[in-house]
Amino acid sequence: MNQLIFLMPILTVLVASIILMLLSMYDRFSTKYFIALSSVFLIIALGFSVATFTDEYSITVYSDIFNNVLIFDSFSNFFTILLIAGTLLTILIGEHYFLHRKYFKGEFFTILMFALFGMILLGNANELVTAFIALEIASFSIYVMVGYNSDDNKRVEAIFKYLVLGSFIGAFYLLGTVLIYGATQTTNLTEISTYISTHSGNDLALVYIGITLILFTFLFKIAAFPFQSWLLDVYRGAPMIITAYMASVFKIAIFSFFMRVFLQDITSIIDFWDSIMYVVVILTLVFGTWLAITQKIVKRMLAASSIVHTGYLLLAFLAVGQNSQAAYATMFYLIAYLLSAIGSFGLVSHIISETSVRVTYDDFKGLSKERPYLAAMMTIFLLSLAGIPSTIGFIGKFYVFTEAIDAGFTSLAVLAIIATIISVYYYFKLIAVMYFYPANASCKSEGFNDKRVSTYAIAFIAILTVLGGIGSAIVFFIPIPGIDTMIEIAQMSVQSLMMK
Amino acid sequence: MSADILSFIIFLPAVVAFGLMITTKNVEAVRNIAFLTTTVVLALVLKLYLQFEPSAGMQFVTNTSWISSFGINYYIGLDGFSLTILMMIAILIPTSYLLLWEGRTKGYWINLLLVQTGVTGSLLALDVVLFYFFWEVMLLPVFLLIGIYGFGDKVFTTIKVTVYTMAGSLLMFVAILYLGVTFNAEFGHWSFQYTDLMKITTLSYDEKIWLFLAFLAAFAIKIPIFPLHTWIMETYKNAPTGAVFLLSSIMAKLGVYAIVRFMIPIFPDIYVEFSTWFVVFGLFGLIYFGIAALMQDDIKRMFAYSSASHLSLISAGIFSLNEFGINGALYLIIAHAIATGALFLLVGIIHDETGTKSIKKLGGLAKTAPIFTVIFAVMLFANIGLPGTNGFVSELLIIFGIYEFNHTLGYISALTVIIGASYMLWMFQRAILQNRDGESLNMRDLKIKEILGLTPWIILVFIMGIYPDIFIDKFEPTVTHYINDILKIGVMK
Repeated sequence: MNQLIFLMPILTVLVASIILMLLSMYDRFSTKYFIALSSVFLIIALGFSVATFTDEYSITVYSDIFNNVLIFDSFSNFFTILLIAGTLLTILIGEHYFLHRKYFKGEFFTILMFALFGMILLGNANELVTAFIALEIASFSIYVMVGYNSDDNKRVEAIFKYLVLGSFIGAFYLLGTVLIYGATQTTNLTEISTYISTHSGNDLALVYIGITLILFTFLFKIAAFPFQSWLLDVYRGAPMIITAYMASVFKIAIFSFFMRVFLQDITSIIDFWDSIMYVVVILTLVFGTWLAITQKIVKRMLAASSIVHTGYLLLAFLAVGQNSQAAYATMFYLIAYLLSAIGSFGLVSHIISETSVRVTYDDFKGLSKERPYLAAMMTIFLLSLAGIPSTIGFIGKFYVFTEAIDAGFTSLAVLAIIATIISVYYYFKLIAVMYFYPANASCKSEGFNDKRVSTYAIAFIAILTVLGGIGSAIVFFIPIPGIDTMIEIAQMSVQSLMMK
Repeated sequence: MSADILSFIIFLPAVVAFGLMITTKNVEAVRNIAFLTTTVVLALVLKLYLQFEPSAGMQFVTNTSWISSFGINYYIGLDGFSLTILMMIAILIPTSYLLLWEGRTKGYWINLLLVQTGVTGSLLALDVVLFYFFWEVMLLPVFLLIGIYGFGDKVFTTIKVTVYTMAGSLLMFVAILYLGVTFNAEFGHWSFQYTDLMKITTLSYDEKIWLFLAFLAAFAIKIPIFPLHTWIMETYKNAPTGAVFLLSSIMAKLGVYAIVRFMIPIFPDIYVEFSTWFVVFGLFGLIYFGIAALMQDDIKRMFAYSSASHLSLISAGIFSLNEFGINGALYLIIAHAIATGALFLLVGIIHDETGTKSIKKLGGLAKTAPIFTVIFAVMLFANIGLPGTNGFVSELLIIFGIYEFNHTLGYISALTVIIGASYMLWMFQRAILQNRDGESLNMRDLKIKEILGLTPWIILVFIMGIYPDIFIDKFEPTVTHYINDILKIGVMK
C-alpha cells in the first residue's frame, strides 16, 4: 500500500488515457468535455505527485513484480510534477485552439495522455530497455500529434521526416543497448554502474561505444547539433500547440532520463564525452542562433531559438562532469524554459487559433493596440527567453553561466553570452513589431474573445515568469515559493540520485 | 525606518506606474499623478539630503538576502557620491515633466516613471547583481519610449540601441559571474557585494584585464566613450525628447558613476595602470565629437555630439587619478545633466513648434520668444563653462586634475572650452538670434509652467557656479576615501 502511492500519478495518467479512449467512441462528448475531463485527471495526478514530494527518497517500487526496472525518487518526482503541470498548462492554453480546429476530437486527448504516460515512465526508468519502450511510447504519440492537422499539407513532410529520422535514431539507441549488454550482461542501470566501477580499460570499450550511441539519441531528441535539421520543418508542420508541447514538455522528459543516466550511473566515466559535448555545445549555439536570426515566420523563429536554449541546457549539462552543482542549474533552467517556452508558443497558438494570419513578423504588427494584455504577456515571455532581469529566464541563465564558469568553461559561457546578445536582436524585433507599428488591416480579427481559459492560463504563466525572476525577497508580502525554494527543490531532487 | 526610505524612493514610481497602467485611461490624470509621484520622491530625497552626514561611509543601508543560495543580497545604500547624483535625478525628472507637459499619451508617462525606478535602483544598488538587475530593467522603458514615440526609422534605431547596450551589459554580466565564482573559490561562500569582491586576491593579471574590459564595455557604451559611440547619433536624432533627455542627462551619468563605484574598488591596479590610455581616449573623443558637432546642421544631432564631447571630458576626469579630476568629473556630471537636459528639452519645444531641427532653417527665434532665448542662453553658457556657472567650476577642476596627471594632456583638455564655445555660439547666432530672410518662424514663448520647471535648474546653475563648496562638501569625503583608501591601498596590494 505504501508503495502504491508512488505509482499513483503514473497510474492515474494511464487510467485517464484508457477512459478517454473509451469515451472518444461516443459522439455526444464534445471537445470541451474532453478538455475538462483530462484536466481533472491531470490535477488528480498532480495532487498525487505533490503529495509524495516529501523529503529525499529513493525507492524501487514492488521490486519483485517490476524486477527493479522502475525507480521512484525525488528526482523522478520533480520531473513528474513538471511534466504533468506542463501537460495541464498545454491543455488549458490550447483550449481556444482545440475548440477552433475541428480535427481535435476525443482521441487527441487520449494520445496526449499516452504521451504523458510514456514521458513519466521515462523519468522513472531504471533500465535501458524500459527507457526505450517509454521513449517510443512518448515519441509515437508525438508523431501522431505532429500529423494531426489534416488541413495543412506541410504535415505530411513534418510527420514523415520526424517518424523516419526518429525511428532511425531509435535504432542507434538499441544498438548501444546491445553493445552495453554484450559487455556487462545487463541492461539495468544500477548494475551497469557497478560494472563500470569495477572494471577499467578494454573491458569498458563496448560500454563507451554503447553510451556514445545512446548519447546520439539524446542529442537527436533534444535537437542538438548535428541532429537539429528536422526541428524547423517538424515544428512548422505540427499544430502550434503541439509545437509548444514538444519544445517544452517533451524536452524536459528527455532530460529527465538522460540526466539520471549521466549523473547517477556513468558519472565516473562522464569526462570521456567532454570534448564531444564541448563541440556539440558550440555548434548548437552557433547553428541555433544562425537559424533564428534568418527566420521570418515567428513560429520558426521560436523553434530555432529553442535550439539555442538546448545549447544553454547542454552547457549546464557539460558542466555537471566538473561540478555536480551544475545539475541543479540544469533543472532550474528546465523550469525556467518550460514556463517561457510554453508561454510564448502557447500565446502564439492562442492568437492564431481563430485566424491563421499571424504568421510572420509583419503579421504581428500593432498587436499591442488590438490586444494590449496579450502583447504584454508575449513581451514577458520574450524577455524571459532573452534572459532579461526580472524574469525567471534571467535567474536560469545566471545559474547556468555561473556553474559553467565554476566548472572552468569560461570560454563557452562567453560564447553563450554572445548567443544571448544576438538573441536580444530576434526577440526584441518581435516586441518592436508588436508595439511600434500600426496594425495590418488583413490581420484584424473582430470579436476575439479574451475572457477564456486560455487567456487566464497564459496570464498565470506570465505571472509565474515574473515572480520567478523577482522572487519573494523583494516582494516581501507575497507568500510564494521564491527562487531559493526552487533551487532547494532542485538540489534535493538531485541529491536523491546519490542515495543507493 | 531610515533604511526603508531608499526602497520607497526606488519603488514608488514603479508601483504607481503599474497602478496607472491597469486603472485609468485618462491621460491627464495619469500625467498629474505621475508628476505628483516624482515630486513626492523629490521631497523624500530632499529630506535625505538634509539628514545626510558628510562622511565617507554608506548611509541608510538596507541589506537583506534576496537569492540566498548565491549570496545575492538586496543591498542598497547611499554615500556622498550617490547622494549628489540622486539629488540631481530627483530634481531633473519632475521639472522635465513640466516641459514635456503637452500632447503625450498615457504610455509616455508610465514609461518615464519606470525609467525613474530603474535609474534610482541602479544608482543605489551595492550588490553587483542587483545593480545589473536595475541596469537592464531601466533599458526596457527607454526601448518602448523610442520605439513608440520616436521619429524616422525608429524601429531600426530601437533595435540598434538595445542590442548595442545589452551587448555591453551582458559582457559585464559574464565578468560579474566570474568575480562571484572566484570569490566563492577563495572564501568558500557566495557573495556579489562590491565590498566583498574587492577582497579577491586570486585573480591573475590577465584575468583582471579581461574582467576590467568587460565592465568597461557596459559603461563605455552607455556613456559613450569613443569609439563605442556609434549608437548615439541615430538614437538622439530619432528618439523623442523625453528619451533623449533621459539617455543623455541621466543614464550616461550612471555609466560614469558605475566606473567609480565598481571599477575603482574592484580593479584599482588595472585602473591606475591604464588610466593614461583612458584619459587620452577621453580627450580624443572630446575633440572628435567637438569637431563633429561643429559640422552638424540638425540641432539635436549637434547637441548629441556636444553631449558626447562633454561626457568624454567627464570620463577623462574620472581616470585622472586625483581629487581635482574626480571631484570635477562628479561636478560636471551634475552640471552637464542640467545644461544638456534643459537644452534637449528646449530643442524639443523648438521642434514641436516649428517642425524643424535644421539650424539653416531656424533663425530669429529670439524675436518672438525672448524668455525662451534667455533661458536657452543661460544653459548654453553653463554648457560652455562661462565663469559664474556650474560648468566653469567643473571644467576648471577637471582641467586642473588632468594637468596634475600629465601636463601635456592638461593643455589639450583646455581646448574643450574653445571648441565648445565655438560650436555653441555659432549655432546660437544662426538658429536663435540672426533673422532669416523670407517668412519668419512662429515660435511661441515659454509658458509659465515651463518657466517654473526650468527655474530650479537656472538657480542651480548659478548657485553651483558661485558657491560650489556647499555641494562639493557632500561628496568630497567620499572621493577622498576612494582615492586614499581604495585606490592607493588597492594598488599597493
